[in-house]
Amino acid sequence: MLSPLQLEEFEQIDFLRDRHVRFFQRTLQVLPERYASLETTRLTVMFFAVSGLDVLDALDVIDRNNMIEWIYSLQVLPTEDQSNLSRCGFRGSSHIGIPYSVKGPGVLHPYDSGHVAMTYTGLTSLLILGDDLSRVNKQACLAGLKALQLEDGSFCAVPEGSENDIRFIYCAACICYMLDDWSGMDIQKAIEYIRGSMSYDNGFGQGAGLESHGGWTFCAIASLCLMGRLEEALSQRELDRIRRWCIMRQQSGFHGRPNKPVDTCYSFWVGATLELLDVFQYTNYEKNRNYILSTQDRLVGGFAKWPDSHPDPLHAYLGLCGLSLIGEPNLRKVHPALNITQRAFQHLQQLQQTWRDNAGTCT
Amino acid sequence: ATMSGLEETSNESSELKEDNDFDVEVEGHVEVDYASDPFRLYMFYRDRKEWADLEPVPQDDGPNPVVKIAYSEKFSDVYDYFRALLKKDERSDRAFALTAEAIELNAANYTVWHYRRVLLQALQKDLREEMRYITDIIEEQPKNYQVWHHRRMVVEWLNDPSEELEFIADILSQDAKNYHAWQHRQWVIQEYKLWDNELEFVEKLLEEDVRNNSVWNQRHFVISHTTGYSSPAILDREVQYCLNQIRKAPHNESAWNYLKGILQDRGMSSHPGLLEQVLELKETHCSPYLLAFLVDCYEDALENNNQKETLNRALEVCEYLAQEKDTIRKEYWLFLQRSLESRFGPSAASGEPLADGTEPPAGQQELS
Repeated sequence: MLSPLQLEEFEQIDFLRDRHVRFFQRTLQVLPERYASLETTRLTVMFFAVSGLDVLDALDVIDRNNMIEWIYSLQVLPTEDQSNLSRCGFRGSSHIGIPYSVKGPGVLHPYDSGHVAMTYTGLTSLLILGDDLSRVNKQACLAGLKALQLEDGSFCAVPEGSENDIRFIYCAACICYMLDDWSGMDIQKAIEYIRGSMSYDNGFGQGAGLESHGGWTFCAIASLCLMGRLEEALSQRELDRIRRWCIMRQQSGFHGRPNKPVDTCYSFWVGATLELLDVFQYTNYEKNRNYILSTQDRLVGGFAKWPDSHPDPLHAYLGLCGLSLIGEPNLRKVHPALNITQRAFQHLQQLQQTWRDNAGTCT
Repeated sequence: ATMSGLEETSNESSELKEDNDFDVEVEGHVEVDYASDPFRLYMFYRDRKEWADLEPVPQDDGPNPVVKIAYSEKFSDVYDYFRALLKKDERSDRAFALTAEAIELNAANYTVWHYRRVLLQALQKDLREEMRYITDIIEEQPKNYQVWHHRRMVVEWLNDPSEELEFIADILSQDAKNYHAWQHRQWVIQEYKLWDNELEFVEKLLEEDVRNNSVWNQRHFVISHTTGYSSPAILDREVQYCLNQIRKAPHNESAWNYLKGILQDRGMSSHPGLLEQVLELKETHCSPYLLAFLVDCYEDALENNNQKETLNRALEVCEYLAQEKDTIRKEYWLFLQRSLESRFGPSAASGEPLADGTEPPAGQQELS
């Protein structure tokens, strides 16, 4: 616990809660055309805003039901003949042009398919908004997921093909964890890919041979934690080495790679990894907090990667999560592996208990 | 906007286009701006007679759209026709041409790229020309995942990597740490066995910036896939190389990480003369990384031969790091100190169960 004097010093840079609430509200409404590159990932942007509001304990400012409907309209459901099962999941947006619909059967379209990161953020967003996932076709999601895993254990993002790497293993692990069903992936192969991504310097790269990086290290460790295989996949010696790599990322805030500048989002990626490895407590909270708050945009709200830079939803959300990890007052605690609030996580746990109790009466 | 995956490898905030204030309202419909189209040559697809057979397909977000992007009329028009083509899976030159327009408006739309690849194959398009096209796009947007994936596909179809190393070198000359570029480079080298000149390339880049962590990583990539590190000659060469770079630039985590990386499973404390060299460097070229390396050497030694003197040295270095040389990590070095004491100290010899990490110290933790 901090002494009152320490608390006073800490609070010198003030945290502008209301600005951040409004920042996320605006994000959820309309963005100007210069954000066009976000079109196919709009669902992830929604996740940043909605989860951000949850961390701020400000979900009451939005219309949850309307948002839930919009998310369900992005679900790629099985067609009448179920010929598209391996393409099911959630879309990032309506960009393909499927007519709005929140229920099945799915529409046959030569290019419509889910995207693993959208299925992941679709499910988390539904949970955060209080939905019970009863309209999610879980079996279809898992079939779509299975189709994305490659021989080497990594995942592609979409069935049409894309780059494959550790990011999508993390998305897949979150999906399986939330749906409480690991039939959607070959865990053993995924673990092999993760292990293969460990660099000589004990961080994790995006794949074998690639440079270690805070984001990919988070994906590796968080995935193993969600799978419940952290200590099975990595020895104590390896875990200690990984702890060292991660803790060396703190410069003031955190950077993602040695000799790179710090960036607000790594306060979460690396911070959460350290928390999962039980050593976040040994970082310097004050310097971390000062850095994150130096990237706060005092006018429009949100956070940027660097001071005096434009804020964006990703950094706004992860900046908040970074502050939550160090125990910033009035912020909800975040589950470091699943990256949702503990409150939303408890909702998930209750749901899963209901599913187990009802086992036998499936959707 | 900084989205789609992690920040460093996607579009930077600073690359956002400025809002276009030059649109002019003429007789009820908005024209494109004077600056880019002074003679009003641009015609919407909906007005082009060669496209009259196609019914445009708008986006449909339903009654309560979320994170809606406000597209200009030009943007919507192009994409309404893209969606129309997609729906019927049309395979035509006009479709191929339209994908280029759609890409220019949003190069991160992976569906457009996929459709373009379908058309490239269906229409038997000139892949050399496609290489020129994708080269230009990557030069403009080097932190976009889709463009690099597209290039990889074209290189695979052509089965011709001959332009790659030079192209990637050019991209790296603009940003020597571009993760996509290094990833593509490793793929090309491994796929087509282009190892021969890569160590030379690495050395050149390290001369330009000895702190470039991506280049140290590439060094490890090349050597581990060619000569390997098993031979004492190679290992020693690399150790000396590291130490030389450290003498030139002592405060360089990358060099120390590389040194530790190549030795950590081969016995850090058993490499002949290394400990002595490091202790010498400690006097004139000290850094937190040097000291951490020392701790790791001592730990390795203790695992093979638990000596009180070695432990004391290790604990001393931890104290030095915590109190003076790496104070930001003070709590971590104290934790490591307790851990070493616990594993190798007198209580360890007594056979009592080892405590893994003692209570954290009072103060600093948990604001709430």
